[in-house]
Amino acid sequence: MADPANKPSPDKAAQGSDSNPDTLYASRKKLQVRSTSGVFTNWRWAMVWLTQILYYGLPWLTWNDRQAVLFHLTERKFYIFGWVFWPQDVFYLAILLIISAYALFFFTAIAGRLWCGYTCPQTVYTEIFMWIEEKIEGDHNKRRKLDAAPMDARKFMLRGAKFGAWAIFSLWTGFTLVAYFSPVEELLQALTTFGFGPWETFWILFYAGFTYVFAGLLREQVCKYMCPYARFQGVMFDPDTLVVTYDEFRGEPRGTRKKGVDPKTVGKGDCIDCGICVQVCPTGIDIRQGLQYECIGCGACIDACDQVMDKMSYPRGLIRYSTENALKKRWGMKEILVHVARPRTLIYGGLLVAICIAMVVGLATRTDLRVDILRDRATLAREVEGGLIENVYRLQVINMIEEARNVTISVSGLDGIHLDSDGLAALPAATTESVTVQVRVPYDAAEPGVHQIVFEVVVDDDPSVVVREGTTFIIPR
Amino acid sequence: MLKWIQVLWPSFMVAFVATVFFFTVVNPQELYLLGDPVEYSPIATYSIGFFGFWVVCAASSLISIYLEPPSKRGS
Ligand code: SF4
Ligand code: SF4
Repeated sequence: MADPANKPSPDKAAQGSDSNPDTLYASRKKLQVRSTSGVFTNWRWAMVWLTQILYYGLPWLTWNDRQAVLFHLTERKFYIFGWVFWPQDVFYLAILLIISAYALFFFTAIAGRLWCGYTCPQTVYTEIFMWIEEKIEGDHNKRRKLDAAPMDARKFMLRGAKFGAWAIFSLWTGFTLVAYFSPVEELLQALTTFGFGPWETFWILFYAGFTYVFAGLLREQVCKYMCPYARFQGVMFDPDTLVVTYDEFRGEPRGTRKKGVDPKTVGKGDCIDCGICVQVCPTGIDIRQGLQYECIGCGACIDACDQVMDKMSYPRGLIRYSTENALKKRWGMKEILVHVARPRTLIYGGLLVAICIAMVVGLATRTDLRVDILRDRATLAREVEGGLIENVYRLQVINMIEEARNVTISVSGLDGIHLDSDGLAALPAATTESVTVQVRVPYDAAEPGVHQIVFEVVVDDDPSVVVREGTTFIIPR
Repeated sequence: MLKWIQVLWPSFMVAFVATVFFFTVVNPQELYLLGDPVEYSPIATYSIGFFGFWVVCAASSLISIYLEPPSKRGS
């Protein structure tokens, strides 16, 4: 592979521009990343498959005769398999966000940017886009030549094919996103006639454009300049965090040598300065300069370097997952693993487990019936025949499950308090029913004024499901 | 280019969070626009809400970079 790319210099030029903030986006040197193979590459691809099978597949599953996962904006209900979530359940959403945050802290403290390297959509889609690019335009050398070549019929064809493939993939991604919010069946019907609603069309194109620009064009710049997590993750690192590390003690002084030469006899370290670790880096950095904020921890340079070490018959792991302390104190894997359990990770981990348990308990004990009481403001309180005082209430009863149920409403809190009706109500599946009830109290049951009363709503078939809601009853003077 | 991204990108992120939060708490069907109930489809209301937030946040970002000390401001 005798080509100019063997020197890391073009990629280093990309870093040079970092010091001048005004050229951040404009004069970036386009990277042509060399593809790798190996353990970490396999892991990365495994995660691409896993996340994307989930992402593209979930909207197509059905459950209870409806889409299994649907954030139904029109109905304001989130369907997730057997569950139906209502706006009132926003609490669970908040907990979920907290869990995500702690999981991020936890994993970052243990092994750096695992999220970035393996699961972030930015990484995953860039990976897919680069794969398409390589299939159409060839490897990194061919692509670099193509970049430099003047536009001719062949280049035009290749570019067209690449942009076209990216566009189709992006549109499918956009369609899938909208399918999480609008029933996929309706969308599919609309697809056959291109009869999407205006906003659906808009969001499909918007997200497709986003995917295309982020994964096709911006790529590592998103991580370097746009991602808040990338700026923030440094504070979660400590000297015992596992990160992709170049073993300077072993590698330096670097230099070329013939195959099979014992580095010690020529006064060199194990790094043969082939620059392949730089060529494979999706952010275009040289890991040998130490931990840099641009490094997304993808492990591509580990795979690349291991292959070089194999060829040279040197032990693998010149670049490897290691910690700052381990490198300084020449620890082995065992000591590194012992230091995974340290106050920071234990606290993050403990909190994470505690919140997860709280979430599970919350979901398991969640009542699937909800009652909101609205007073009828127009008729606050009035006297009715038979010496009774009447207050009128509107009960919003939410049947949160996908099963029709009958409930009985009753009221207590004052002597002789009762409903004007039998208090029976039929609730269709997963709906909010509005039930108006008249509550009556004998004239002399209590002093004039405001009194606390309690409504009780019980499911007829399952009396363990009961909701009590307090409100006030007014006796006029 | 950098300026555009500095204005549009942070505001996009904040607008996204704000939209999710706002419409979780507020049902668009219960909103009133200039005295009349909102009659757009929910997806239209959410979308318009999102763009409304985005514009407001972008305006704030714009002023931020406008007021940046000249020494730090680019070109
Ligand atoms: S830096 Fe940000 S955008 Fe890039 S991979 Fe990490 S989380 Fe994703
Ligand atoms: S330095 Fe290595 S681990 Fe970091 S981003 Fe580059 S290739 Fe990935």
